[in-house]
Amino acid sequence: MNNETIKQAPLLEARNLTKVYEDGVKALDNLQLRVHPGEIFAMLGGNGAGKTTTINLFLDFIQPTSGHAFINGIDANADPLEAKKNVAFVSENVQLYPNFTAMQNVDFFVRLGGRHQYKRSDYEAALVRVGLQREAFDKKLKDFSKGMRQKCGIAIAILKDAPAILLDEPTSGLDPKAGKEFTRLVGDLRDEGKAILMSTHDIFRAKEISDHVGILNGGVLVAQKTNAELKGVNLEQLYVEYMAGYMEETLETGPLTNNLT
Amino acid sequence: MFKLIFLKELKEIIQSSRFTISFAVCSVLIILSFFMGAQNYLSSKAQYEAAVQENRNQIAANTEWMMVDHTITLPPQPLMALVNGISNDIGRNIEMSGRGELRADNTRFNDEPIFAIFRFMDLEFIFGIVLSLFAIIFAYDAINGEKVSGTLKLCFANSVSRAAFIGGKLAGSFVGLSTALLIPMLIGCALLPLLGIQLSADEWTRLGLIIFSGLAYFGLFLALAISVSAITSRPSNSFLIGLVVWIFAVLIVPRSSVLISGRLVEVPNVDEITAQKNRYRIQLFEEDRPKMENFSVPEGTEPSEVMTAFSSFMGELSSARQEKIDAFTERINEEFENKRRRQEEVALGLSRISPTSVFTLASTELAGTSLQLQNRFMDSANEYQNVYGNFMTEKTGQNQGGGFRMIMVTDEDQEEPENLDPDEMPQFEYAKATVEEATANSILDMGLLILFNIIFFGGAFAAFLRYDLR
Repeated sequence: MNNETIKQAPLLEARNLTKVYEDGVKALDNLQLRVHPGEIFAMLGGNGAGKTTTINLFLDFIQPTSGHAFINGIDANADPLEAKKNVAFVSENVQLYPNFTAMQNVDFFVRLGGRHQYKRSDYEAALVRVGLQREAFDKKLKDFSKGMRQKCGIAIAILKDAPAILLDEPTSGLDPKAGKEFTRLVGDLRDEGKAILMSTHDIFRAKEISDHVGILNGGVLVAQKTNAELKGVNLEQLYVEYMAGYMEETLETGPLTNNLT
Repeated sequence: MFKLIFLKELKEIIQSSRFTISFAVCSVLIILSFFMGAQNYLSSKAQYEAAVQENRNQIAANTEWMMVDHTITLPPQPLMALVNGISNDIGRNIEMSGRGELRADNTRFNDEPIFAIFRFMDLEFIFGIVLSLFAIIFAYDAINGEKVSGTLKLCFANSVSRAAFIGGKLAGSFVGLSTALLIPMLIGCALLPLLGIQLSADEWTRLGLIIFSGLAYFGLFLALAISVSAITSRPSNSFLIGLVVWIFAVLIVPRSSVLISGRLVEVPNVDEITAQKNRYRIQLFEEDRPKMENFSVPEGTEPSEVMTAFSSFMGELSSARQEKIDAFTERINEEFENKRRRQEEVALGLSRISPTSVFTLASTELAGTSLQLQNRFMDSANEYQNVYGNFMTEKTGQNQGGGFRMIMVTDEDQEEPENLDPDEMPQFEYAKATVEEATANSILDMGLLILFNIIFFGGAFAAFLRYDLR
């Protein structure tokens, strides 16, 4: 295997990933996606589209009905402990331990992520990088705003230094300034070579920073476009059209075939 | 990973305001229970010493052993004040007679009836009621609280095994909270000698075992709360379930078991037994009445000889009657005791479904205040009765059954009789259980406490392995 091959291997890959819940609801249907190093893949879709289910499958919180989720080539459901060494996660609403200070939370979660070599100065540098004010470092999380907690969450992900990152609607509920800062940080992480899979409702932010945008509806990836393909395209209109088209076609003929690029 | 989660749990507990408030309240209550226990013991000891002295004064004030009303008193033990058990409910004094049935009177609650309503705040109450509730309040949201807040998801986004997580959580919670409880316990123990209570090595061992049982009891409620939080998704549900289980364990099962056993094994009440004995006694007396009426002495017998002959005649009748009464009483008591013991066994067996009952039985057994306290006191008194009977026979020529006494007083010039020496009276000694006996008697309950811990810790572990982390 040469260096080129290693570079091109996807760090996050869903292969025919399907999830049907016990009540018969098909949350994800035969999902295929790949995220390579230095790429951001944004999953767009409404509530119940299957975005969070995809992330839950990558994190082994649920078992797939069929198919596989790979992290750095490791089957996340067959060997979750090994797979999760290669991924960091930032949720929609980062809720750390409220009685711990920011520093204590960062220390705990970074160690939990298997990184024991850091000193306080490293934690401080990461927190400064994500834009948290120094006065907040030793304050308890219960006094933090959502934006501040989100910054701590991304600092933990940075310090874990995993090759892949999963972001579950990370900018939801953030004010525009905090959202912009967050977007900049995610862009920086992509530039460092991380493979990032992000679920979001935010069409504009997805178009702004993503290398690939996938539209999920009813558990099906109905469309997937590269950033180059989206140039000059009104993504919002495209999103609405795909959703409507998919719904019409579903009524007539069943689910659309995945439109993989 | 286990160590990391264990230490996180410790830190999280210590830094929470819930802990600060609960720890402060529990510390005050624990130290107060030691303090009040010590005060109670000192007060009981003073009462006991006064009663013994009063008994000696009464002996010393008499010139005839036949006129002595001798009372024995149950000596207070320091551990009785820390774990009350039935010590306040049983009679502490027995009016001694050389033969016949003995009866313990004058309970602590006779003197201070207010405590019969509200009871004392002893270690059994602190552990049994307060700390078990404290365990539930602390751990009801241990798992589902983390799920709701999102930290569970964040933890398991890392390479963390469920076993390490729940193991660390259980161990961290138990060590953190039990260490916090041990501190006021140790302060309480240190207070005892300062308050003038010197415990023997035997008593320290018992106290250590009581605290160990208490912590095991606390631990099982903690594990129970954690396991409930690992099978429910909402903290409000787990709190409600925890509270219902607590109410059943602490309040309903122990009481119900007594009621159910009462239905299963019928035992005549004490009044019925006493009435039966009295009827028999009267019947025998009536049978003897014609003999008494026909008592006669040859004419011309000296009055002093008449008295002696009558006394001897009555003594013989009384002895014969007493023999029959004793045999009847023994039989009826044995039947009663067998039924009562069977009822107790059923009640205790049923009650052991509840960890609270198990802890109560273990701690009272170790403190010497279990149901055995009454039996032991009565056994010691019965044993002493023989010694006392022999002593009185030696001193008076007859073994008095109490109640009926006949003393001949003459007006002849005699030397002023000397007062009695109380030191001559044999000393009553209460034979309390040795630490080995107490440990052996409580081993079943201590074992059950450990078993409950294994079940609930195992339950929490198993429930979490299948827990939906989303």
